[in-house]
Amino acid sequence: MWNPYQQLSGTQRRLLGFGSLGVVLLAWGLLTGLGVVRPARLPAPWAVGSAFLRLAWDPEKGESPLLDHTLMSLTRIVVAGVLVVVIGLPIGILMGASPRINAVLSPLVDPFRSAPVVSLLPILVIWLGIGETMKVAFLFLGAVVFLIPMVRDAIVSVPEAHWISARDLGATPWETIWHAVVPIAKPRIADAITVSVSIMWTYITVAEYVNAQVGLGALIQNARRFSAMDQVLVGIAVIIALALVTHAAMRALKKRLYPWEVEV
Amino acid sequence: MTAEAEPSADTASPAASAEGAVAHADAASDFPSIELSGIVQEYPTPDGKTLRVLDGVDLTLDRPGITMLLGPSGCGKSTLLRMMGGVRPTGVQTPTKGTVRIGGKPCDGPHEDAVMVFQRYANRPDLSIHENVALPFRFSMWKKRVPRSEVKTRVRDILAAVGLGDKHDLRPAQLSGGQNQRVALARALVLRPRILLMDEPFGALDAQTREEMQLLLGKLLVENPCVVVFVTHDVSEALVLGDRVLVLSASPAKIVDDIALDEPRPRSTAWLMSSAIVDVKDRVLERLHESRTHGQVRLSF
Repeated sequence: MWNPYQQLSGTQRRLLGFGSLGVVLLAWGLLTGLGVVRPARLPAPWAVGSAFLRLAWDPEKGESPLLDHTLMSLTRIVVAGVLVVVIGLPIGILMGASPRINAVLSPLVDPFRSAPVVSLLPILVIWLGIGETMKVAFLFLGAVVFLIPMVRDAIVSVPEAHWISARDLGATPWETIWHAVVPIAKPRIADAITVSVSIMWTYITVAEYVNAQVGLGALIQNARRFSAMDQVLVGIAVIIALALVTHAAMRALKKRLYPWEVEV
Repeated sequence: MTAEAEPSADTASPAASAEGAVAHADAASDFPSIELSGIVQEYPTPDGKTLRVLDGVDLTLDRPGITMLLGPSGCGKSTLLRMMGGVRPTGVQTPTKGTVRIGGKPCDGPHEDAVMVFQRYANRPDLSIHENVALPFRFSMWKKRVPRSEVKTRVRDILAAVGLGDKHDLRPAQLSGGQNQRVALARALVLRPRILLMDEPFGALDAQTREEMQLLLGKLLVENPCVVVFVTHDVSEALVLGDRVLVLSASPAKIVDDIALDEPRPRSTAWLMSSAIVDVKDRVLERLHESRTHGQVRLSF
């Protein structure tokens, strides 16, 4: 029981994991089914299930509102995610490769890791308006301030022996970074990107609070206005599910791309 | 007498190798000389003082063969070796005083004739063994010099020579420590260096693997002669491999003895246990003792 190195089998892990979820669902069902908690505060699990089905397919209009909301949120995250990688990755690599660049940029980047990025939203609204640009910029800012230091740390953590060896073999400093340092840092860089995407999922509701008609954040916001708690919970559940699926997919992709990952 | 004792530590003595050994005196002119003159190295300490690591080292190496730099751990022998390889620590003037010349030219950075092999083999875990050995040919310096068509042949030949001919497609994680060190050695030798600088390359290996690697190195140098400088703190290793053994004192290091060994490699146990070599061993230990050695020296007969 109290052994941090104990290896659990897949079945054991699944049993324990689903078991804990089952216990929570059971307690939720009992509390709401027996009327201990009012539906306006916490609807029953089956009411949330029913709301999910209604949102998943609207027979009158012949469309899926939930799919529309999901695709819109997904699009915003993909666009912001591409920007985070395209801009944040080179900056992180440069900071890791050069202590001078790190000294210059670190005071501009590192404090934002602990700063409340949400508080920047009003500024972004003033600067960029209330359209798509603001939403993507907010997601971008929220994630890039985490990605850059993590990429830098991934570069710095590559053992110096690789640098010395490549330089001694005749590589220029840039060839050394490109051929001896970055390839070894790739698994940790992949972890950094995965974390950044997870962070964007946590910020999506905030990004879509302002003037969004479509999107999971907008769905939650509108449902809250009408006290449709069941739809609020559907929105939250879909965001969690999508975050888990993207996280698992990125972990699987990392395992496939870097099967050699060992302690270096 | 199989071991020659040089009375003066300041006079570099040429290694006189017998037949079958690596050194080829007549071919010495094909190899660049390494000349160190009045080398002093100091490093700043955290309390604002300076620590002198090397104290006036003069040394000339001008012919193929293995020169062992033997001294206690932490005495500055790796600093000296890295100086020859042009590997400079950032923010510290290296050397503090004195000059390093390779082939008559001042050496102030990585030198195309000198390749280093370290204790940490630094193989890229994502590349196959073949790709690891071929890695230097991705660098512009070697791309210009070695045609792409030749790279494959060179890598294949050197991997066969180090006994990894059947491991081309494996990754470093699938090899043992000794095999990984062979990969590092192959990556250095595939460049056909005229100077090979080895910084305790077998220090992390078990005794049996270390012995295998020592034999392999001897064999490879017969096929690919070059000027080898080999750092060790193991007296036995110095006697097994060296054509010349330079004994360094404890920090600040000076050369306190210079011994030429003319026995061809591989050296037999009988030779290593002979009274002349036991005397050499005693002499080395005495030199180290005289220099008030505080670091570690290994003796593993």
